[in-house]
Amino acid sequence: MAPDVLLYIVTGLALVLYAVLGGADFGAGVWQFNLAFRMPPEEQRFCDRSMGPIWETNHVWLIFVLVLLFSAFPTAFAALSHALWLPFLLALAGIVFRGCGFAFRHYAHGEEKVQQKWGVVFALSSTLTPFFLGASAGAVASGQLHVTPSGGFEGNYYTDWISFLSIYTGFFSVGVCAYLAAVFLCRDALREGNPVWIATWRIRALRMGVTVGTLALAGLVVVAIDAPLLSESLHGGALGLVFLSVAAGMFSLLALYRHWFNLATAGAAVTVAAVIGGWAFGQYPAIIPPVITLHAAAAPDNVLWIFITAAGIGALFLVPSLLLLFWVFKGQNTETGLPTEQGDSHLTDEG
Amino acid sequence: MDLSNLMAARMQMAFTLGWHIIIACMGVGLPVLLLYAEYRYLKSGEKVWLAITKRWSKGFAVLFAAGAVSGTVLSFELGLLWPEFMGTYGAVIGFPFTMEGFAFFLEAIFVGIYLYGWEKLPGWAHWWTGVPIAISGFMSAWFVVTANAWMNTPRGFTVVDGKIADIDPIAAMFNPMIWTQTTHMNVAAYMVAGFSVASIYAVMRLRGHDGDYQRKAMAIGLVFGCLFAPVQAVVGDFSAKAVAKYQPVKLAAMEGHFETERGASLAVGGLPDMEAGETRYAIKIPYLLSILAYGDPNAEVKGLNDFPQEDLPPVPVVHVAFQIMVGLGTALIGLGAWVLYSWWRTRGLPVSKIFLWCVAFSGPAAILAMEAGWVVTEVGRQPWIVQGHMRTTEAVTQAPGIWWVFLATMTVYAILTAGIVTVLRILARHPLAEDM
Repeated sequence: MAPDVLLYIVTGLALVLYAVLGGADFGAGVWQFNLAFRMPPEEQRFCDRSMGPIWETNHVWLIFVLVLLFSAFPTAFAALSHALWLPFLLALAGIVFRGCGFAFRHYAHGEEKVQQKWGVVFALSSTLTPFFLGASAGAVASGQLHVTPSGGFEGNYYTDWISFLSIYTGFFSVGVCAYLAAVFLCRDALREGNPVWIATWRIRALRMGVTVGTLALAGLVVVAIDAPLLSESLHGGALGLVFLSVAAGMFSLLALYRHWFNLATAGAAVTVAAVIGGWAFGQYPAIIPPVITLHAAAAPDNVLWIFITAAGIGALFLVPSLLLLFWVFKGQNTETGLPTEQGDSHLTDEG
Repeated sequence: MDLSNLMAARMQMAFTLGWHIIIACMGVGLPVLLLYAEYRYLKSGEKVWLAITKRWSKGFAVLFAAGAVSGTVLSFELGLLWPEFMGTYGAVIGFPFTMEGFAFFLEAIFVGIYLYGWEKLPGWAHWWTGVPIAISGFMSAWFVVTANAWMNTPRGFTVVDGKIADIDPIAAMFNPMIWTQTTHMNVAAYMVAGFSVASIYAVMRLRGHDGDYQRKAMAIGLVFGCLFAPVQAVVGDFSAKAVAKYQPVKLAAMEGHFETERGASLAVGGLPDMEAGETRYAIKIPYLLSILAYGDPNAEVKGLNDFPQEDLPPVPVVHVAFQIMVGLGTALIGLGAWVLYSWWRTRGLPVSKIFLWCVAFSGPAAILAMEAGWVVTEVGRQPWIVQGHMRTTEAVTQAPGIWWVFLATMTVYAILTAGIVTVLRILARHPLAEDM
């Protein structure tokens, strides 16, 4: 396989992991925003427990995507830095406030006023960040950015990113984050053996799932109208991924309904992966359609091979460490020693 | 060329980088201190060591979160502010950034395990999860600084008809400045972390909270900082020799050295006067500059007057920053000598108020010295972003409104700084018994 394609896949995988894992963390904040900051403290602590050990790690996937982009596809990175000037800056502000907001709220333990203040900051920025990151992705997918083949820019720095599709993907991303969070929290509620939270989050997840699912189908129309290039390219493998995302999304709803929370988590993750995969597959061989192709943006092959080798060696350290982290904090052993998955029908609620 | 954009972008970069570096130093140095405190607890079972470990690990968590996001800001800014630089040279210096990505990843993973794993992994298992934090913290700083070293001594590519060719990322990373600059920075990080911790507890003790906890906590930070202060003088000397060899104009600016001469004298203090072409009010020590730069009292040191005007950095800034760095570094070595003398005479640290005041100032002094050092290396490289290849003016974005971005950034960072201080103070107010 050509090294640029290989690194495109690696970058895509990192983006998927960021969207799924980081997205769920954003989602926890979206819910606090959704509930008008009136989430009961007990439940908020449950959310914090759930993301506490892993949110820093989940955030690093974004840094990883950036680094891969500017090392392996420097022309594309330069072009995006111009064209997405405003949404990037706004997303950055969100990232800064959200990361600090979470840590400050957590460690200001004992000072309720301070905690409340940073809780609001956390919730607001957790909602704004996925909006602007999602809008940035939509702006690229729309194929309407005025970038030049050499990585320059001829559009308006403030408005070029705005399109029907980008605004849609902004909202869609926020919804996806909320859905992921609710599904993941069902699973964690089960691990903690708390029937009330299972019931609450299951209902929230189902409602959000139906909303986002409907929004997703509407999204196909938006793509058809606003991104005809992407729409035309959705055939073959890309079309298969679109169908996969629909199927996995519906499956995750079914699993939620049946209280199969592990399967629902997997289904939701596959849905997001398939959406991003379909987009990446569909626009290939462009990296910023239709102007900049993967090949034109990529560093020379010998450089790419060095990155691939380094990434391979890095993965030898990274993968076991990641597994250790998730095994320690997200493994099946519940603290209460309760059985998990299908067995605990006594934990069901009215749904 | 919009010069206002350039100045705004440089201020923005300097401000966000300068803020991040302080936090990042804590991320590099604090894990080592944490490991030491927890080691003492595991060995002795004394609860005070557990209290120190737990207290610091919470403070570390707050700072790590701030460091992670301010670091993210920088990776975006590389593109947002300097798109031509990244577009042209991203492939050349991407390698250390990729490696840094992995190192930071490992750090974040083990920070999660370490901070939240007290119950799940008791005893020595918990201690061992801290070791990768210390190692990867060190490595991520190391990798990032290799990229900066490359900007000073770019290698690993050729220019053919204005295009970059024959890229060799490994050669780029192992550029001539790599060893001196990375060592200088990592030692600085340890000094900043050690002295900052010490100064917090010195202030507590001056305010009358003078218990076993405060004394032990101050002693660890102080001894750690003092151990590295003299090392830094040696590393700094190597760095200066490397600068003399590869960036003679930067050396001349650091020293405020205008006339090319053999047996050059070292100007201590003073203020370079660009109009008159001399450094006024300085104390001149004969031959010392030639010795320090080339190890030979009669070596020729090229002066600022013999470089093209358009290649000169802002000399007064560089010279003054260099004086601040060396002056404060020397003072910190002096503090170390005081500690050593006291240890030799009394087997303990000095207890006088004056000593505590000095320790209280050692943290800010170490931070200021480190920042001054970055001013020397960054401003001293101007007008180049890539020494000899790309000028900063060629690299900057043409996006509008950077001054507004800078203003907004300062506001955001002011809020963050206030948040960090508030939360750290809240943590410090909790009764110690909670952490035992």
